[in-house]
Amino acid sequence: MLTTSPAPIEQQPVLGVQSRSGWRVVLLAAVGAVAAISMIPFVYLLVRASDKPIDEIIQLLFRQKTLEVLATTASLVMCVVVINLVLGVAIASGLHFVQVPFRRLLVIPTVLPLAIPSYVFTYTWVALVPSFSGFAAAVFILSISTIPYIILATLAGLRSIDGSQIEVARSLGLNPVQTFSRVIFPQIRGHVSAGALLAGLYTMSDFGAVSLLNVETLTVSIQNMYRASYDRSAAAVISFVLIAFSILFVMANESIKGRSTQNQLLKSLSVKTPLIQKAYLKVATVLIIGAFAIVAVIVPFYVLLTRFFSNPVAIDWASLVSATLSTVSVAAFGAFIALVLSAPLGYLLSGAPSRFATVTNKMVIIAHALPGVVVGLALVSIGSKLGGLYQTTFLLAFAYAILFLAKSVTSMSSSLARVPNGVKDVAATLGMNQWAVVKKVIAPIAAPGIGIGTILVFLTAMKELPATLMLRPTGFETLATQIWSSGSINRFNEAAPYALILVLVAAIPTFLISRPDKQEQSFNYENVGGPSERP
Amino acid sequence: MPFSKKLAAAIASLMMLSLVSACSSSTNEQATEVSELTVYSGRSEEFIAPFFAQWEASTGIKLNVRYGDSAELSAQILEEGNNSPADLFLSQDAGSLGAISQAGLFTTLSNDVAANIPAEFVATDRHWVGVTGRARVFAYAPDRVKTLPTSVADLTKPIYKNQIGIAPTNASFQAFLTALIENKGSSFAKTWLEGLQANGIKIYLKNSAIVEAIDKGEISIGLVNHYYIWEVSEGLGRAINVKNGFFTPGDLGNLINVSGAGVLKTSAKQKTAQDLINYLTSPAAQQKFVTDTHEYSLIEGATPPAQLPMLDAIGAPAIDLKTLSNIKATQDLLIEVGLL
Repeated sequence: MLTTSPAPIEQQPVLGVQSRSGWRVVLLAAVGAVAAISMIPFVYLLVRASDKPIDEIIQLLFRQKTLEVLATTASLVMCVVVINLVLGVAIASGLHFVQVPFRRLLVIPTVLPLAIPSYVFTYTWVALVPSFSGFAAAVFILSISTIPYIILATLAGLRSIDGSQIEVARSLGLNPVQTFSRVIFPQIRGHVSAGALLAGLYTMSDFGAVSLLNVETLTVSIQNMYRASYDRSAAAVISFVLIAFSILFVMANESIKGRSTQNQLLKSLSVKTPLIQKAYLKVATVLIIGAFAIVAVIVPFYVLLTRFFSNPVAIDWASLVSATLSTVSVAAFGAFIALVLSAPLGYLLSGAPSRFATVTNKMVIIAHALPGVVVGLALVSIGSKLGGLYQTTFLLAFAYAILFLAKSVTSMSSSLARVPNGVKDVAATLGMNQWAVVKKVIAPIAAPGIGIGTILVFLTAMKELPATLMLRPTGFETLATQIWSSGSINRFNEAAPYALILVLVAAIPTFLISRPDKQEQSFNYENVGGPSERP
Repeated sequence: MPFSKKLAAAIASLMMLSLVSACSSSTNEQATEVSELTVYSGRSEEFIAPFFAQWEASTGIKLNVRYGDSAELSAQILEEGNNSPADLFLSQDAGSLGAISQAGLFTTLSNDVAANIPAEFVATDRHWVGVTGRARVFAYAPDRVKTLPTSVADLTKPIYKNQIGIAPTNASFQAFLTALIENKGSSFAKTWLEGLQANGIKIYLKNSAIVEAIDKGEISIGLVNHYYIWEVSEGLGRAINVKNGFFTPGDLGNLINVSGAGVLKTSAKQKTAQDLINYLTSPAAQQKFVTDTHEYSLIEGATPPAQLPMLDAIGAPAIDLKTLSNIKATQDLLIEVGLL
């Protein structure tokens, strides 16, 4: 069965025309609703920006400072993405192709940094090296924070490659470099670009690391304008610069993705990739992963632990426990809402390409670049008119869903795309209704990937700060707000217990994602920028 | 789908609940016993929570405190408008209070509220009152700075090249800059800022970061509030190599800022909120601020924090605090020169 041309609707005459079009209408309406929800921050920004006279807007957009900040942001994103591409793909390839000891366990330290918020990374590195600051430091922190995305995505791509192709390439006399560039890379471009996309968007929207390291990116500018000037219109105008930049970035990313030549032929017959035995490659792989694990896992844990034990202030266990429970429950709630919201769009994206689905998807992705403070204020603006809903955990969870929807839509659509259309057709032919097809056929195949996407939302929501500060119920503390309230680096000792718990709790789902025995059901980010073109 | 029905039911019941509670809270405050009060606090939990706890214990009223950055909370209140759940806003600085006042969201406080606070520390329209005083100082490393500046104008001189730190996003820095603009004109202020930039000034996010940077040796002088040297040293758990310095009397660099509080017009518990302000400005609480947070009491003749001159002996410039809350021009200038 070829999936190169997804079966158009017309070719599935199984269900009655009425029920099918009814289903389609419900689906489109649901996607429309999701589109409307993800529009909230944009509409808010538009309303705020329009408070400012046009000449002031133009002046603000083209002043030297704006251009400088844009240049800083662009260079930061470039550096982080390039480092990600080189190191991430290298580490993933090493893990996939080279016969190293404890190969499956080595995945864990390369993914574990996902559990550590960028501001905790920064705190720990500054605690260790007091002069740690500036652009290079920001590149370093944001790279180690985001490389796991690209490693996970690349590994998923590599695992879907048929090993027999590599055998063929070798027998035709291609050297390893040629094999990689001509046979392997073209097949994983989609995955790699998806990882790069997430890393880039993360870098754009990060506030914690860059602000602590004195690097002024667009997000820092926006936050500063809110903080310092009560000038919500100026902040909104700068937000549009960020949006424009993220659109450019998403477009540039499409070029990495290129024309994906994913081969989805009969996976069950594929040959396992033979492992490389060369000693120098083994040593190099272990050294690179070891070095990465030291800077991205061991150092933060070491600093957190020493700070935890040297903390002179008595630990408030009650507040530690309640903050942990609050964090986990509201983040899980947010991940659940994101899961529900992403289902219709993911389903639409997994099928025949449609302009509506693609545009909605792009919007969701661009919203991912917005700083938490923007989404937070947009929801304050609307939420405060909702009476009892305002400052409830529900609204906070909803904010998480909007902020991180891109993550769950991405994994939803690619997981659903793994379900061959033929199987759905057969099920329908056998008399199953749509709901039964979803439950009995689609869910079992797509569930693991969707689960990973949901876990990713959960993980990021646990670490979220700016929107949490605004939207949480009064008096409701999460681990992130507790770390924040300890405020500055000189009081990091007091924040250490909260940071440590946050990292440990987040490590559990992170471990689940990297679980060695679940390697086949891994990420598939291929559809991140909309359904990929297939030859 | 049953789930969506359940969700709709849940939302509907939530809305009903809020409607009911809104009705009950809008009834006469005196008639119903106030049992809770919602405070948006721009002052950090560490320093203000003991005061709140004391008030809760003495009145039996529970405080729901929302901690945050003063300016961010102020942006939030502006965004909430007439729907704000806040009863009282306690702010680190006059600027945030001024923004709320300008938007017409504060009620006018009656004359018996904070009656012992001198008029110079109260907004003329009585929208908010000062609670504690903060002196602007230059913090410096005594071993590295041989020639102390006598005026903020000195800071653009080459002897301080690459040694000065400021926090342009910080509200108290902006209050100082507002005073500079009000008194010397905006072209003077602009020249001064550009002079600083040409002198290799370093930018920090907040005052404490400046003091930390002086201690680390990154810079030698910084424009901050007086109490940060205690805050940083207590946080680090050791003495630090940083001292407070004042400019010559009357210099704008010696400005006195206030933290303050105002009651939201939309609050149904204004009387209780004013009681809380009265407590914070009572002699006992004021003395507690001096000893615990190293701030100045605003009550005339009160003891200053350890090792510091009396409030009226600092040589602060005579500035109407009301003019300091008008910071639009200040921010436009900071944006213009690229410091924001």
